[in-house]
Amino acid sequence: MKVLLISVFHPELVRGGAQQVCYELFEGLKQTPGIEPILLAAIDPSHTALYKSGARITGFDGREGEFLFLSREYDYWWHKCSDPRMIEAYVEFLKIVQPDLIHFHHFLLLGFDLIAVTRRVLPNVRIVFTLHEFLSICAADGQMLRKYDHSLCTRSSPVRCHQCFPDRGPEQFFMRELWVKRHFDVVDMFTTPSRFMIEHFVQWGLDRARITHVTDGQRDYNFRHETAAPRRQHNRFGFFGQMVDNKGLWVIVEAVRQLRSEGFTDFILEINGDNLRYASEARRKEIEEFLAAEEQRPLDERIVFFKGSYDMEQLPQRMARVDWCIVASVWWETFALVISEAWMFHRPVIASNIGAMKERISHDVDGLLFAASDARSLAETIRRAATEKGLWEKLVKGIKPPPTRQAMVDGFLEVYHGQ
Amino acid sequence: MSDEVARILGQTKPAPSLKPAPLLPQGTGGLEGFDEADFNEAGYLRRNPDVIEALRRGEFKTGYQHYAQYGIREGRTVPGAPVERRDALIATISGGSEEPDPGDFRCAVDTVIVAHRAGVMVIGWADDASTAIDCVRVISRAWHLVFRGASLVRVRRQDVEAALGGNVTHPFGFFGFVHAPDLVDMADGCTVEIWLKNDSMVSLQQPMHRVGEIELRNLVLGYLAGADFFGNQQIEGAAAVDRGLGRHVVAFNRAITSRITGAPYVERFGTLHRQPRGSIVVCLYGKSEFLAVQNCLFADRPGIEDYEFIYVLNSPELGEKLLREARASTMTYGLPQTVVVLPGNAGFGAANNAGVVASRSSRILNVNPDVFPRDPRWAARHTALLDERPAEETRLFGAALYYDDGSLMHGGMYFEMDTGISLRGGDFHPERVVRTEHYGKGAPAWAEQFVRPRPVPAVTGAFMSSDRAWYETLGGFNEDYVFGHYEDADLCLKSLQRGTPSWLQDLRLWHLEGKGSTRQPQHEGGSLVNRWLFSSLWGETIMDGLLGPAPTHPALAMPPVGTAASTETPAAEQPAQTGSKRSRRQRRAVGKTP
Repeated sequence: MKVLLISVFHPELVRGGAQQVCYELFEGLKQTPGIEPILLAAIDPSHTALYKSGARITGFDGREGEFLFLSREYDYWWHKCSDPRMIEAYVEFLKIVQPDLIHFHHFLLLGFDLIAVTRRVLPNVRIVFTLHEFLSICAADGQMLRKYDHSLCTRSSPVRCHQCFPDRGPEQFFMRELWVKRHFDVVDMFTTPSRFMIEHFVQWGLDRARITHVTDGQRDYNFRHETAAPRRQHNRFGFFGQMVDNKGLWVIVEAVRQLRSEGFTDFILEINGDNLRYASEARRKEIEEFLAAEEQRPLDERIVFFKGSYDMEQLPQRMARVDWCIVASVWWETFALVISEAWMFHRPVIASNIGAMKERISHDVDGLLFAASDARSLAETIRRAATEKGLWEKLVKGIKPPPTRQAMVDGFLEVYHGQ
Repeated sequence: MSDEVARILGQTKPAPSLKPAPLLPQGTGGLEGFDEADFNEAGYLRRNPDVIEALRRGEFKTGYQHYAQYGIREGRTVPGAPVERRDALIATISGGSEEPDPGDFRCAVDTVIVAHRAGVMVIGWADDASTAIDCVRVISRAWHLVFRGASLVRVRRQDVEAALGGNVTHPFGFFGFVHAPDLVDMADGCTVEIWLKNDSMVSLQQPMHRVGEIELRNLVLGYLAGADFFGNQQIEGAAAVDRGLGRHVVAFNRAITSRITGAPYVERFGTLHRQPRGSIVVCLYGKSEFLAVQNCLFADRPGIEDYEFIYVLNSPELGEKLLREARASTMTYGLPQTVVVLPGNAGFGAANNAGVVASRSSRILNVNPDVFPRDPRWAARHTALLDERPAEETRLFGAALYYDDGSLMHGGMYFEMDTGISLRGGDFHPERVVRTEHYGKGAPAWAEQFVRPRPVPAVTGAFMSSDRAWYETLGGFNEDYVFGHYEDADLCLKSLQRGTPSWLQDLRLWHLEGKGSTRQPQHEGGSLVNRWLFSSLWGETIMDGLLGPAPTHPALAMPPVGTAASTETPAAEQPAQTGSKRSRRQRRAVGKTP
């Protein structure tokens, strides 16, 4: 079976969960007998050097079976490929590759219209679509967070969406929904990495029978199979991920401020991440000022240490420096790969009590949940984690191995074969 | 004979007899374009006692009649403003003013704006509260133009009121526009003479601002939209347009429209696999992406293979983008379509007519870009209607349209009349303007009575299906409306006038009409003109049995059961005007119980 995997970005170029999972699947399928995977990853014009003159689809860095879709003139409102030459190139690519199955991992930078083109060019091909977030439902970056107060959104509607985008009338969101759903009509099966997502999409109008849960999976980055050695105190906390608003680093910073003001300073927090530049201006300023002030403190008074970006090869060293991982996301998350990464290294996770985090973590069994967006709740949880004797050991024992790459491949193979 | 003339006659001594000549038809010869109302009757009689005597003997009815037949040829003069055509360009100065009284009234001209082969606009004010403006002459190097005082749009000018002081309720401001397709000389300056009825005149030297024709049209309409009237703005606006401006704006806009629709760029995409049953004509303005959205939502629905799409673009700056959209969408959704790019905004009616020219079927569906199928089988049902229903029910029909919130937006249209009193010249003048209303607007989707097949006074152009031959017999959409509005009702009334009422058929589509794009002042001005035009053209017809939600016009009575639309709707579901008791007249008109 020839499987064409379509991804937003390539993880070699831009880090992100959806592309990482797609690439893990690509690697996994390559090792699966009877499956011939091909990867087509869409990139944006910021990768100027890769936009070869006159080309719309090219290979990638000499890698076998990997191609880049050089997206141009992308319409970010309609999520539409506006350049007819891109469509022509895609049609030609499909005709050359002749896949038996096409697995979309996103529509961003490609356009919903390419799903329709796929069905028109290959009427009998099986089309699978993995929903990595809620962008098809929610125009607010697919986060389902109300833009005016950052509260969690549970359902879309023309008027509710208009409240987030006052400049756009309700009918525009109604039209958007018609547009998205019409393109989704040609998809044979949707998958979500978390079960709770299914309910969001069913409520939105997708037929439950067309959605199934397939877990995200990764290779094991704990190459040396190290275990977390018990220490006298387990008061080292780590943040791993993008430093954007929705990942909730600002909640952690507020929690640290609060604990310090209460006189509790016997802990450290290491921040491993990047892309603070993509945070909102207010949050970026708040975090930058906090980190700058922290650096000015004498070493023995410092709690927070910014360790910068990392790649997956560095994960073992970074994980070795902490006892706990904090996942303070203020949006639903759809799988939260960082939980899997913490579990690979037997680190219990302290996480927001919503969405994928709530689905994956059992409170007081393999981790701790706190009230999402609530710095006071997180502060209390950090204090408990750092001081409660035996808690860390109990939770480490409760951690189960995270889903593997093979588990994910097996899940998708069932979907591919229509089971 | 006015009181003043009677007074003069009473004071005048007998004069020698004048032999009357056969009467000349009014409005011909030397007085063409110069109405009796503009003639200085009293002044003429004062100067010509022999004419007064002739009037006494009954040889003439008025001094104007004498002047038209003899006086002008005898070289007799008329005091005050020159007797010459009004509201039309005159190639040379045909007559000067004679001994004007030195102007001692306060006035000013704000601007004179001209456009090559287009027209002249003048804006100013005059303290004519006690004696009205007779005319405003704009005199250029090789032409001059006399704006009839009564044709000028009189507006409230609070700045003038403040400057003049006092407490007079009077529209001191004026503006006028005359369509002048022969205007070619574009001098930098001109003389503007403001004449009052008492023969006093003030002459002012003014620069002339030159603009393009589109800008001039938009300036005129924008100024009209922003005009401040004493009283009801709508009523006074319509009355002001009626006094002359409307006729000139319509003619001017028509000239622009003709030029635009005369030079379309047409490109076809996709392949017609068979002769289409219908051509869906969509007029686009400002947003090219609706092409892709409609392609997406109409494609691959039962029966759509019998239809082609014609997109007509009124925004040439988006032409290249739209052509790309069409190319991409044809590849993506597979619908055959034609794009017609116009070199300007021809308005809704003219653009749709241009789309019809490019279409290739015998059935025209005028569809707005924000209309989408609510019923996936709408196209198959539309074709079935053409095949199965009597021709008179399908010659021209509309569909039920729904808002995004699920409620009904349109179940046919009817007419109401807004009446008001316009105060001008110290007298009350009743004014009537027509308003279109939609049956069931905002009604819940389950209120089936509004979407029951039936003849209706009119249907919206947001979705209108018509037999092409009939459409062409009716002359298509009337292109006199500025930008757009009322063309749909106009077409339906033309059809009704020829014996075929428009029908509402049971097809259901979304009409995702929002608050619309930001309306420019010229659009508001265009609306004023259109409402006046529609009222002028159809007001009397509508008053004769077409007024209100339950019109009594016999053509709108339901055909007998078994020969026309289903009449299965129970009496309880017949349409009723919200908030009012349903009368017997209404019941008779809107429904029939089997």
